[in-house]
Amino acid sequence: MNLISGIDVSAGALNAQRTRLDIVAQNIANAQTTRAADGQPYQRRVVSFESELLKKQGVPGASLQSVKVAQIMPDKTPGQRVYDPQHPDAGADGMVQLPNVNLAYEMVDLITATRAYEANLSVVKNGRQMAMKALEIGK
Amino acid sequence: MVDPIFQSSNYQLARKLLDASVLRQNAIASNIANAETPGYRRLDLAPSFASELRARLTSSMPGESITELKPTLVEDSRARSIRPDGNSVEMESELLEMNRNSVDYDFLTELVSRNIKQLRLAITGRAG
Repeated sequence: MNLISGIDVSAGALNAQRTRLDIVAQNIANAQTTRAADGQPYQRRVVSFESELLKKQGVPGASLQSVKVAQIMPDKTPGQRVYDPQHPDAGADGMVQLPNVNLAYEMVDLITATRAYEANLSVVKNGRQMAMKALEIGK
Repeated sequence: MVDPIFQSSNYQLARKLLDASVLRQNAIASNIANAETPGYRRLDLAPSFASELRARLTSSMPGESITELKPTLVEDSRARSIRPDGNSVEMESELLEMNRNSVDYDFLTELVSRNIKQLRLAITGRAG
């Protein structure tokens, strides 16, 4: 039993949202990377979440669901091709294949993940407040 | 006699509602955690809990029958999804519900505290 109710649920969610922030950071950092580890232009990564059942023995009814990162997939859409013959990664025709990172998408993702993180944090704070109130019973 | 306070239906009820409040907090934590999980259906306290509690309050032995009642969670079948991913969580209403639940909890702990303080006053003859 946890003194702070729902903290294990929120912990999973905080972790998942932080992973999402890390991936946004990685995407933005690699917005101009024309040669990633595989020699190809960087492909932006997308995080998908799935819920995780928290089993409790002998408790009837629906069980609580935490959340975790299901997978981190590369986005397959092709990036922009620009004409830049001076670029070291330019092809024979002088065209450079740029990464498919769109800064607008990344910023929106960044804000969404931050807000979701804050919401989960406020649940933890609230749970903590409730636990403190419970400790004050009889005082 | 300590029994009259701890067996009173008010005290028993407050204890049960505290349990329910903690469970609701868990459900809200789960809902907010899964606010972006496709296909997730929001959890809530089983609506049968309130009606069961009311029925048992009016029964002949309210104290004992209330103690046996356990609140449970169910998927909220009334919540409709307006999102393409089938998720039925609305972040704003969850946060409001969480704050309301927290006030309920404060009230109930205060009620239990007052009951115990009253008893202490009766035993010692002085408050605090």
